[in-house]
Amino acid sequence: MPELVPTADQNAGTERLLDPDFMRRLEQLEIVSRKIHASRQKGERRSKRKGESAEFADYRNYVVGDDIRHIDWNVYARLEKLFLKLFLEEEELHVSVLIDVSASMENGTPSKALYAKRVAAAMAYIGLCNHDRVNLYAYSDRTTGRMTGLRGRRMTAQAMKFLDEIPVEGGSRFSSAARQFALRHSQKGVVLVVSDFLDKGGFDEGLRYLLGRHMDIYVLQVLSPEEMSPVMTGDLKLVDCEDEEIAEVTISRALIDKYKANVQGHCDSLRAYCHQRGISYLFATTDQPFEALVLTYLRQRGLVR
Amino acid sequence: MKFLSWQTAALAGAIAIPLLLLLYFLKLRRIERTISSTLLWKKAIQDLQVNSPFQRLRKNLLLFLQLLVLGAVLFALASPVANFDRVIGRNIVMLIDHSGSMNAIEADAKPRLDHAKRAAVEFVRDMPKDARAMVISFSDRANVVCSFTDDTRRLRELINAIPPTDGVSRIGEALQLAAAQGAGTEARRHEDEGDQGGSTNEASAGIPSADAAAIDIELFSDGRIVVEGTEASRHEDEGDQGGSTNKGDNAPSPPSYVPQSLRASVPSSQVRYYRVGETADNVGIVGLDVRRDFEKPGFLSIFVQVENFGSSPVTSDVTLSLDGKLLAGGGAVQEVALGAGENVETSKNRKVETGGSPRPAPSTKGEGGAAASLQNVLFELEHNEGGVVTVRWEWPDALEMDNSVSAPIEPPKPMRVLIVTDRPLVEFFIHRPMADFGVQQAEAVSTKIYESMADAKLSAEGRCAYDVVFIDNHDTDRLPPGNYVFLGGLPKIEGVSRGEEIVGKPLVYGREGHPLLRAVSYESLFVGKWRRLKLPAYAMPLIEGEDSAVVAMLSDPGHRYVLLSFDLLESDFPYRPSFPMFLQNVIGYLAGGGVAEAGRMALPGDTVKLTVPSGAEKVTVKRPDGGEEVVELGDRASSGSMAYSLTRDVGIYQATFDDAKKSTQSFAVNSLSAAESRIAPNKELALGSQRVESMEAAKKVNESLWPYAAAGALVLVLLEWWVYNRRVMI
Repeated sequence: MPELVPTADQNAGTERLLDPDFMRRLEQLEIVSRKIHASRQKGERRSKRKGESAEFADYRNYVVGDDIRHIDWNVYARLEKLFLKLFLEEEELHVSVLIDVSASMENGTPSKALYAKRVAAAMAYIGLCNHDRVNLYAYSDRTTGRMTGLRGRRMTAQAMKFLDEIPVEGGSRFSSAARQFALRHSQKGVVLVVSDFLDKGGFDEGLRYLLGRHMDIYVLQVLSPEEMSPVMTGDLKLVDCEDEEIAEVTISRALIDKYKANVQGHCDSLRAYCHQRGISYLFATTDQPFEALVLTYLRQRGLVR
Repeated sequence: MKFLSWQTAALAGAIAIPLLLLLYFLKLRRIERTISSTLLWKKAIQDLQVNSPFQRLRKNLLLFLQLLVLGAVLFALASPVANFDRVIGRNIVMLIDHSGSMNAIEADAKPRLDHAKRAAVEFVRDMPKDARAMVISFSDRANVVCSFTDDTRRLRELINAIPPTDGVSRIGEALQLAAAQGAGTEARRHEDEGDQGGSTNEASAGIPSADAAAIDIELFSDGRIVVEGTEASRHEDEGDQGGSTNKGDNAPSPPSYVPQSLRASVPSSQVRYYRVGETADNVGIVGLDVRRDFEKPGFLSIFVQVENFGSSPVTSDVTLSLDGKLLAGGGAVQEVALGAGENVETSKNRKVETGGSPRPAPSTKGEGGAAASLQNVLFELEHNEGGVVTVRWEWPDALEMDNSVSAPIEPPKPMRVLIVTDRPLVEFFIHRPMADFGVQQAEAVSTKIYESMADAKLSAEGRCAYDVVFIDNHDTDRLPPGNYVFLGGLPKIEGVSRGEEIVGKPLVYGREGHPLLRAVSYESLFVGKWRRLKLPAYAMPLIEGEDSAVVAMLSDPGHRYVLLSFDLLESDFPYRPSFPMFLQNVIGYLAGGGVAEAGRMALPGDTVKLTVPSGAEKVTVKRPDGGEEVVELGDRASSGSMAYSLTRDVGIYQATFDDAKKSTQSFAVNSLSAAESRIAPNKELALGSQRVESMEAAKKVNESLWPYAAAGALVLVLLEWWVYNRRVMI
């Protein structure tokens, strides 16, 4: 299989998302899966299944039909019973990143979408460096882009290009995207969902689809500082950038306080939902340094090590 | 409160309120802002509304405030006025009373006139912008202080310059002036309209209709205004000295102060009366009479009436001074105890006496025999020289001018009687008892000699040189001011004439209480025939037949006549003992000495007649306030008399002529007016056919409230701004 050589364009996309120094530091990290998943492909991760690696795992009784090559004859000699010698199997890890590219992700400086893309790029790069199978999904109600089955560092440029070029538009339909992902992606592994979760359809349905696949789910909620504490005065007509819904408000201290409480409540409800279902909840605002987020925060939360 | 232009406000409100509501419904134009999601905002709005118990009200608070602002503006637009009396017209006549009672000192030590001026100035300040006003001050006569003008500054200056006087309040002339000005204004208005129309308008003839005189009369007074009664009522009162009731007290309604002829032209609805003053306590000398005893001419009787108009009894001294010096002796100072004054409400507007004759004693006595409010004080003095007597009430009270009265007295003169007759028998009957009556000089002349007698002999100092003139069977118009007894003849004066002859009728009535008929028995008197007399209304019959007067008395200023309508010799009167009694009454009553002194006394504002000595070309009048006035006599020097009318201040006036003898004449001006001394403000006036209720001058009438409404609107706008900012402030 010929090796893919990154083009200049692809390199530009990489540089926009991750700078080389940071990439070098990422190479030392690996994605941690709290579960041991079964995979079809051999890889560098320990599998649930017993296989053919050099590492001994266990014995079990022989049953008819077992490969007699795996019978431990030394044990038979001592005990006159047939036992099968089992070895650990090593398989590859599926790392999937779902990025929300709805119009609401354009908000913030830098935009939440760029922040999300950089996180996805970092995770993809870590995965590719560790020979994990990396799947990238971008979703909104208009765009559904995906790049699946990426493996090996050589695929970095492609992954970066995909992330860089994906348009940010349309409304967010997380439940629909999660359903599609669950249907398409039968392999178990690590799933990272990066979104602002400002989805009028709610987040629980989508997360339920992912939970149904018994995946190791990480949720990264990205909000901009403007969303956390808005700076606005006067009589305003607030237009939703996704569905153009209008909310007429006269900004007052009480309203702002109420809004802040609502934001906090929204985040808290998402966090509580995740904790109850074994989902790792991560939170970031776009004013947080991205490098610190990946190297420190994600490490602390156990997504990478 | 009344709205002067509520229609404007209603119209503006009908437009503005729906407009505001419409604007509110349309709402303000909001700034559009794109955000990532309205999800949390909508939730916040909903939460906010749910959490606020008065969220609907809160939502509409700004609308509510805006409605309040609009309401305040509309309120201001409706020209609200407090203490509304009536709409002030464009032509205003301000009548300011500056009579004697307005000199009363109020609680703040300022005279009442100052309060009236201040109220008038306030009125001018609040006058509508398009209004014009004229100012008339009045006391005994009216004076146009300022003709119609809209220059409020000039009006205020001229009002403040109105001088005080001691005169009585007579409003009739002032109202007449006001009505005339109103009529003139209306006529001019019609002329203007006619000119503008360019057509011959009937109204442009300038004849004002009764209700066309669109003037507003603003009266600033204490309401103590003298009734402008008829001559008849005055004379009737004078004759009714023996009567016990005071007609003014029993009058059920206040008498109108406006002459009948003027009533139609003064619609009372146009008159607004601002009551000035509060003080009511005052004691005044309301009557003075100085007489020489005609039997003992050196003996002076000074009779004064002191009346308490206050609500509490007062005791103080009444003193008698001669030429400014308090007389020695016990009789010169008399303590007088006066009871509380009559109820002001029931006794207001008592008719006032015009001359020096004493008023009847009041019928009102205090409860349980307490002292009456009106007391008579008699001083007796033996004084054979001239001079000025002054009687003074020593208790200081609110009104100073009525606390002292003065009278110049002449040296005693021998009493002189003139008998004008062509019949020796009549002369005999009259002349014979004269010596017994103390008459020093009784002359008898024929009618021809009387008619041709030199003026210098017949009159002296403007009066008849004789104290009493008996004229027998002769009609004459040669009647210098004096006392006349016509025996069968008649004075040729207006209203007196002779009718048909009445023969053999009995005499049916005699006014027994009258001083002239004292001890005269008329029942047994026989009069063979007499002539029916046609007399003016003010004549007082003394003895009457069935339908006509037989003996009557007439008085007019300067003259007193006793008329016998029969020939003495055609009755048994001269033969009866009653006749000398009658003669004595006549001499005592008519020439009792009082008349001569009364001639030297006047009321404020009266015209005083002075005799000009021959050779005088100018006269210097020294006024009570110390000022001197030089009057060139001119033509009056030859006429022998002059009139002096600048007598508004009470006190002694001294006229010095520049003749060879530098002769001087004094006269006294005394208030002697119960109406002016009764200083308690009058609560209502009868002007025209209706009563005019008073209002306190200090109380602001038609006080505009729109500035308050405008200020309120401003405050509400600020409040609205604050509320808005508080809501949007982060």
